[in-house]
Amino acid sequence: MNFGFNEEQKSLGETVAALLADFPALTGPDPAQARDPAVWRALADLGLFALLVPEAQGGVGLTLVDVALAIEALGAGLAPPIAASTLIATDIIAREGTAAQRETLLPRIATGDVRIALAVMEDGQGYDPAQVRTMMGGNGVTGVKILVPDADIADMILVVARVDDRVGLVMLSRDARGVAIRHHADIDPSSGLCEVTLNGAAVMDGALIGHAGSGDVISRLMDAAAIVYAGMAMGIAARMLDASVDYAKTRVQFGQPIGAFQSIKHRCADMAVAVEAGRSAAYYAFWTAAENDPDRSRAASMAKAYCGEIARDVCNETVQIHGGMGFTWELGLHRFLRRAKVMEHGFGNHVWHYERIMAQTLAARAVVADARAA
Amino acid sequence: MDFSYSPQEEGFRADLRAWLADALPSGWGETVFEPEDEDERAMFRLAWEKKLHAGGWSGINWPVEYGGRGATLVERAIFAEEMARVGAPEGLNIIGHNLAGSTILRHGTEAQKQYFLPRILSSDDVWCQGFSEPNAGSDLASVRTRAERRGDRFIVNGQKIWTSFAQYSQWCFALVRTDPDAPKHKGLSFLLIDMKSPGVSIRPLRQISGECEFNETFFDDVEVPVANIVGDINDGWRIAMTTLAYERGPEDALGRQIRFSQELDKLIGTVAATPRGDAMLIDDPIVRQKLARAVTQVEVMRLNAVRTFSKYLNGDDRGPDASVIKLYWSHAAQNMYEAAMDILGPTAPIAAPDPLSAGGGRFQLSYLQSKAFTIYSGSSEIQRNIIGERMLGLPR
Ligand SMILES: Cc1cc2nc3c(=O)[nH]c(=O)nc-3n(C[C@H](O)[C@H](O)[C@H](O)COP(=O)(O)OP(=O)(O)OC[C@H]3O[C@@H](n4cnc5c(N)ncnc54)[C@H](O)[C@@H]3O)c2cc1C
Repeated sequence: MNFGFNEEQKSLGETVAALLADFPALTGPDPAQARDPAVWRALADLGLFALLVPEAQGGVGLTLVDVALAIEALGAGLAPPIAASTLIATDIIAREGTAAQRETLLPRIATGDVRIALAVMEDGQGYDPAQVRTMMGGNGVTGVKILVPDADIADMILVVARVDDRVGLVMLSRDARGVAIRHHADIDPSSGLCEVTLNGAAVMDGALIGHAGSGDVISRLMDAAAIVYAGMAMGIAARMLDASVDYAKTRVQFGQPIGAFQSIKHRCADMAVAVEAGRSAAYYAFWTAAENDPDRSRAASMAKAYCGEIARDVCNETVQIHGGMGFTWELGLHRFLRRAKVMEHGFGNHVWHYERIMAQTLAARAVVADARAA
Repeated sequence: MDFSYSPQEEGFRADLRAWLADALPSGWGETVFEPEDEDERAMFRLAWEKKLHAGGWSGINWPVEYGGRGATLVERAIFAEEMARVGAPEGLNIIGHNLAGSTILRHGTEAQKQYFLPRILSSDDVWCQGFSEPNAGSDLASVRTRAERRGDRFIVNGQKIWTSFAQYSQWCFALVRTDPDAPKHKGLSFLLIDMKSPGVSIRPLRQISGECEFNETFFDDVEVPVANIVGDINDGWRIAMTTLAYERGPEDALGRQIRFSQELDKLIGTVAATPRGDAMLIDDPIVRQKLARAVTQVEVMRLNAVRTFSKYLNGDDRGPDASVIKLYWSHAAQNMYEAAMDILGPTAPIAAPDPLSAGGGRFQLSYLQSKAFTIYSGSSEIQRNIIGERMLGLPR
C-alpha cells in the first residue's frame, strides 16, 4: 500500500501546469478572452488525450490515477472544460465501449482530433441522471440538455438519454441534423455553457455506449466526472491558497504584513488543512476509479461533495484576504470563484452527492447485516 | 498509488482476525460492553492491552529487539483497520505507547530502550505526560518545575497540571527547568520520573464530563537518577518536540479514527432504528445530509493519516504535517458529535442509564468529552500558528 504519486505522475502534473501557464489569458481577468482554441491543440500535442487511450488503440494505456495531478493542473490553470470532458468520455469509452466504438473513436481521441462534450442535465430535473426525459427512439434523439460545457466547440456530444426504458449514453456528432446549440448567459463565460436542443437528432449506428454490457455506464460516468471535477476543484483551491499566502506575506497594514495578524494567519492555516483534506478524498477517489474498486461510487461522491465545498470556501476566503483588490476585475480572482461555482454544480452538487453517500453507506451496512445473519 | 495489500500484508490481517475472534469476549459490542465505572473501565482497558501484548500484537512497528513485532507502518494501519472492524476496546497506556515509547525509541540511550520499551509494550509500566503547568499551557516553554543536579541525581520541585492517567501510571515523562538563567527554550530537560518516588503526589481534577481522568501532579524534592534524562541536559525542548510530533501524528490519529468510525456507525444504526412520526429518522433528508458529511469527514481522517504514513514511508521527515492531521481530526470529530446531538432530536439530552436515552446513551458523554480535542495536544490556535508560520512561512 502506498498513498503517494510516483515521479512520472508528478511530472505529468507539472508539465500540464507549465503548458497552461504559457497561456496567461486563461487565468486573465476577462473570461471572454479565455477560450483560446490553441490551448486544446497544445494539450493534444503534449499527448494528454492519448494517456487514457489503451495501447491497442494507439494510446499510452494509463488510468485516471496516473492523470490525477494533470487534472488538478487543468483545474488550477482554468483549462477549457472540454479537456476534462474529453478525458472523462475517454475513460467511459475505453472501459464500456464496444470493440467497434473503441476502434473508431479512441485512436482519433488520442491524437486530439475528437473533442467530446458531456450532456447530462435538463431543466427542472435537478442533478439526477436517472430523471432525464430526453429520449432516443426510431427518429433519433429528442430533448433539451442544459449546462453542457463547451458544447459549441465540441466534435461529439455524449448525451444521457432514455433508451428502451433504461437510461443510456448516446454519442452524437455536434454537426448532426437536429442538433441546435445556444449559449447560456452565465457567471463563467469561459466554461462555454450551452443549451443543446435535440430535435430528432440523427444517430449513427453503434452510437450507444455500454448499453449492451451489464455494467452501469451511467454511474461510471457520474463517478468519473465527479472525481475529475473534484480533482480540478482541488487545483483551484490549492492555487487560491497560494495566492492568499503570497498576498498575506506582502501586503502591509498597521506597519506589518497582514499575514502576521492571527485572524489572517489562522484563515490561511485552515485553508491549508482543507486543501490537504480535500486532496486525501480526491486522490483516494481517483484510485478507486482506476481500480474499479467496490468503494468507487462512495469515494467519488465524497470527493465531489467535499472538494466542491472546500474550493468554494477557499475562493471566498481568498477574495476576503485580498480586500478591495480581491473585488477588482483586474486581479482576476473572480475567474477562479466563477469556475469553482460552475464546477460545484456540475455532475451533482454536494447535496446530491451527500445523499448518494448515505444511500451507499446504508446499502453497505445492509450487506454486512445480511452476512452476519447468514 | 496503491491501496491494495501484498500477500504478506493480507497474511498479517488474517492472523490478526483469527486471533481477535478468540480474544474478544463473546457478544462483544452487542451485549457486552466496557464497564461504566471509570476505574473499572481503566482496569478493563489495561487487561485488554495486556492480552494484546500476550498475543504478540503490541508495538506492531517497533523493533523486535525491544519487544515489538518489527512490522511495517502499513501493517500498523491494517492493525488499526481491524481493531475498528471488531470495535475493539481502547488501551490504557496510550501515552506510553505513542509518546513515551516513540520518544525513547528516537532519543533514548541503549540502556533506556532496553529497560523501558518492553515494559511499555507489556503495559507493566503505564505512563503519563508531565508537560503542562498552571502557568505554562500553550506557552509550554515557560515551565517552571525545577530540576537541580546534585551528584548523580536531579532534585525535582514543582507542579504539573492536567496530567491524564497519572492515577494509573508507574512513570511520568516531564519537561523541567534545569537552567533558570538560559533563554526559556534553552534551559529545559526531559526527565523520566518514577511515580513511586518519595515526594510525588497527585490530586484528581474533575472534568467537563464529570470524570476525573486528569490530575494535578506535585513534585516535592523528588530524586531522579541522572541516567533518567533523555537527550542532553538543557536539550529537553528538542526532545519534547519529538513527543509532540508523535502526539499529533498519524499513528495517534488513526487510533482515534477507529473510535470515531465506530461511534458514527453506532449513530447511523441508532438513527436507522428510530421512528419519527410515521417514518424513520433515517428518512429525514436533513439528517441524511448531516450523517453523510460526518461519514465523509471521518473517512478523510483515515485518508489523511494514511497519506501522511506514506509520506514517511517514502522518506519525508515528520514536520508541521502533524499539526494538519491534529487540527483536522479534532474539529471533524467535534462536528460529528455536534451533529449527533442535532440528529437525535428532542431526546438528545437524555443520557444513560435513562431508558429513553438513544443509542445506549453514550453520545452525550462523548459529546462532552469531545470538547477536549481542540485543547489538548496543543490547542487549535497553536496548531494554526504552527501551520501558518512553519508550513506556509507567514510572518510571526
Ligand atoms: C482532557 C485534557 C487532558 C490533558 N492531558 C494532559 C497531559 O496528560 N499532560 C499534559 O502535560 N497536559 C495535558 N493537557 C493540557 C493541555 O496540553 C493544555 O490544556 C493545552 O496545551 C492548553 O494550555 P492551557 O490549558 O494552559 O490553555 P492556555 O494556554 O491558557 O490557552 C487558553 C486559550 O488561549 C489560546 N491561546 C494561547 N496562546 C495563544 C496564542 N499564542 N495565540 C492564540 N491563542 C492562544 C488557546 O488556544 C486557548 O484557546 C490536557 C488537557 C486536557 C483538556
